[in-house]
Amino acid sequence: METPETPDSELVSRTQAGDARAFDELVVRFSTRLYGLVYNMTASHEDTNDLLQEIFAKAYRSIKGFQGKSAFYTWMHTIAVNMTINFLKKRNRRKTMSLDDVDSGILNDPDFINATSHGDPSQDANLVELQKKLNESLLKLSHQHRAVVTMFDIQGMPHAEIAKILKISEGTVRSRLFYAHRQLQNHLQEFMKH
Amino acid sequence: MEHNESISKLLRLKRYEQPRPDYFEDFLAEFQLRQRAEVIHRPFWNIAWDRFSSFFAPLPSPRLFAAATFAATVIATGLTLNWSRQEAVTPPATWNLSTAAQMKLGSDQRAFTTSKKRVSSVHYVLPPRPTGYASAHSF
Repeated sequence: METPETPDSELVSRTQAGDARAFDELVVRFSTRLYGLVYNMTASHEDTNDLLQEIFAKAYRSIKGFQGKSAFYTWMHTIAVNMTINFLKKRNRRKTMSLDDVDSGILNDPDFINATSHGDPSQDANLVELQKKLNESLLKLSHQHRAVVTMFDIQGMPHAEIAKILKISEGTVRSRLFYAHRQLQNHLQEFMKH
Repeated sequence: MEHNESISKLLRLKRYEQPRPDYFEDFLAEFQLRQRAEVIHRPFWNIAWDRFSSFFAPLPSPRLFAAATFAATVIATGLTLNWSRQEAVTPPATWNLSTAAQMKLGSDQRAFTTSKKRVSSVHYVLPPRPTGYASAHSF
């Protein structure tokens, strides 16, 4: 395995020259971050796993065409967002996703419980309701709005980076965020008082 | 347009939603397995399309890619049409006098048939009576 200091660009050049191990290192480097992006857009661990495999396979096949005009990080995220949006369009045509399909793994996560618990039993009981409502609200957003919210609010990316990934202006990113937040506010009003 | 801080705070809770800890260790192994399987079972048209796309990949924009594809299609169509027209006028391989005579005869017959059709379609109008009163057989 490579040292963490090896820049992405060097690993990309080596992959382009036929070194498959260099790409393995890129997979390790990006899988956690891209998992978060895809999962928060699909709300399903199973779909995320399949989709993430396809995203890396697509990146590997197309890496010879990557010319380094943008950062590899941006390029990978663009592939991931586009493939996830296409997947969601197909999934919407197949069926309307039931909330029972939404993962509830977060409820067993001690970090999440610590972050939200205030020692008040009634408030702790609201965790189930909060997570359900949070996912429900996100699923009600359009794919484009959900992508922006995921990257900005959940992943903490700056506006400029999101604009590059989605190939839109920063102004459009801000207006999509504003609209999405207003939608979410309507759905999550009862939890925002706490 | 200022973003809503309380909404952002609530959404940040979703950062805690992670798969089981050993998931990412297995992920790379699964990726490598799938890659190998793909190399073996990948259909021919899929490989061909990838190569075609990567051939045009250095083009700076999708518009240019579309233009290049369109130009290639037009040229290919033009060449095909030109080739098929040339093939239609090419003389037969066993070219001799009898063939030439047959071809000449054939073309004459066609001309004759055409002229016959033209003749039969002509309509003559005869004058009702001779224009002069003098008899044709006068002694």
